[in-house]
Amino acid sequence: MNKNRLLQLLMAHRDRPVSGQEISGELQVSRTAVWKQIEELRKNGYEIEAASRRGYRLVRFPDRVGTEEIMLHLTTERLGRSIIYNDTVTSTQEIVREQAEKGSGEGLIAVANEQVQGRGRLGRSWQSSPEQGIWMSLLLRPQVPPRYAPQLTLLSAVALAEALDSYLPEPTAIKWPNDIRIHKKKLAGILTEMQADMDEVQTVIVGMGINVNQADGDFTGELAEKAASIRQYAGARQSRPQIIASILKSYESWYNEYLTNGFGAVKAAWSAKTDTIGSFIQVETSRQTVEGTALCITDEGALQVQKTDGSIQTVHSGEILDGPPPE
Amino acid sequence: MYSIEEIKELIQAVDESSVGELEIRNDMKEKVTIRKEAAMRPVAQQTAAPSPQPAAQPAPQQSETKKEETPEDSGQKETDSNYYEITSPMVGTFYRSPSPEAGAYVEKGAAIKPNTIVCIVEAMKLMNELEAEVTGEIAEILVEDGELVEYGQPLFRVIPS
Repeated sequence: MNKNRLLQLLMAHRDRPVSGQEISGELQVSRTAVWKQIEELRKNGYEIEAASRRGYRLVRFPDRVGTEEIMLHLTTERLGRSIIYNDTVTSTQEIVREQAEKGSGEGLIAVANEQVQGRGRLGRSWQSSPEQGIWMSLLLRPQVPPRYAPQLTLLSAVALAEALDSYLPEPTAIKWPNDIRIHKKKLAGILTEMQADMDEVQTVIVGMGINVNQADGDFTGELAEKAASIRQYAGARQSRPQIIASILKSYESWYNEYLTNGFGAVKAAWSAKTDTIGSFIQVETSRQTVEGTALCITDEGALQVQKTDGSIQTVHSGEILDGPPPE
Repeated sequence: MYSIEEIKELIQAVDESSVGELEIRNDMKEKVTIRKEAAMRPVAQQTAAPSPQPAAQPAPQQSETKKEETPEDSGQKETDSNYYEITSPMVGTFYRSPSPEAGAYVEKGAAIKPNTIVCIVEAMKLMNELEAEVTGEIAEILVEDGELVEYGQPLFRVIPS
């Protein structure tokens, strides 16, 4: 019997118990088989109430980001329709990369409960503790010239910010190019890796780390000042598989818009959602620190900064430093 | 003081023109300089030393723009000698290693295959792992770690085998 169909049935009737007979009729299996599957689901953390003679009722989902749980919420056409779940991985980026090399198609995602070598930009580590967050990588194979591919990182920020906003009492803001923050604290980060030559993009792997259910004491050291979770602002634990489904839905819609109509709408949405533009910032690039007012992003997604001497510098890569701007 | 709106308009105007650099001052003696990136200039110019473009020379600028319309679309160009050049597919920062602590992907003299990763070019936190696309030996590394590279800029010179 398909466990997913049983789950969907229970989901559809969360307001009342469903009898074993009804389930066995609907799914064309014996009542013993139903009972066995219910036990199986309970082992996976589903809380299922069983009232004698009346039947089963799904009371609570487990906080699990497994394939079944995500599929249950998923409303996309392509993205996330193929899922690789692992309890613990070094990095979900590596999992997707291996699959991509074997020829996996666009939309594949890898999700893990825990990453032991979660990575940020340039090999920086990213705290991906078990249970608390979403650690996910998405495989894309966009037919765009490689020189425009960096636009995808801004697209990722827009899609992610929009999805997370629906779980929060106040909106998030994007820090150039693609950090998602709330009250200047980092809620989610994105790392994108591309394999491309001069003419063609082979793969783009978008890695997302989202802090979901961390409580106040879970961020230690300097992270306490810099990181935040959805739970801290929403006031309660949130369903990770549901958030994953929301992200993929939002991502698919922005990605389709981008492939059909180009960067225009993404750029506008990004510009409306950022708190970088108009601020006085310091950007640390590989060779220097650029200081000035962030004016706008270019059609490539690069940041234009007007320095105090009036000149304008376009920044393609760098880290905007935190901390109060000099008065 | 110039407002952000005014500056944006100016950037757009320069963007859509053939002017390479614009410098204006208002009565307060405040100066705004808008300089187009080397990326907007033809590929042939990019290897030249970065000398600042004169402010207004529309005629040569126009002819340069025309040259840009025939882009070189191959990642490995054969130079007059028997070298191949691996060029950058995008504007960004050139990194020789995956992280500051790690060793370089390739050194001078390294044997490479088409799928050997030779460097990373990064822009907007997108890390492009560049594959050699050619079999041979690295003869010369043309760019330093951390340097900003332009679209089409040669990064490595390779002796093909």
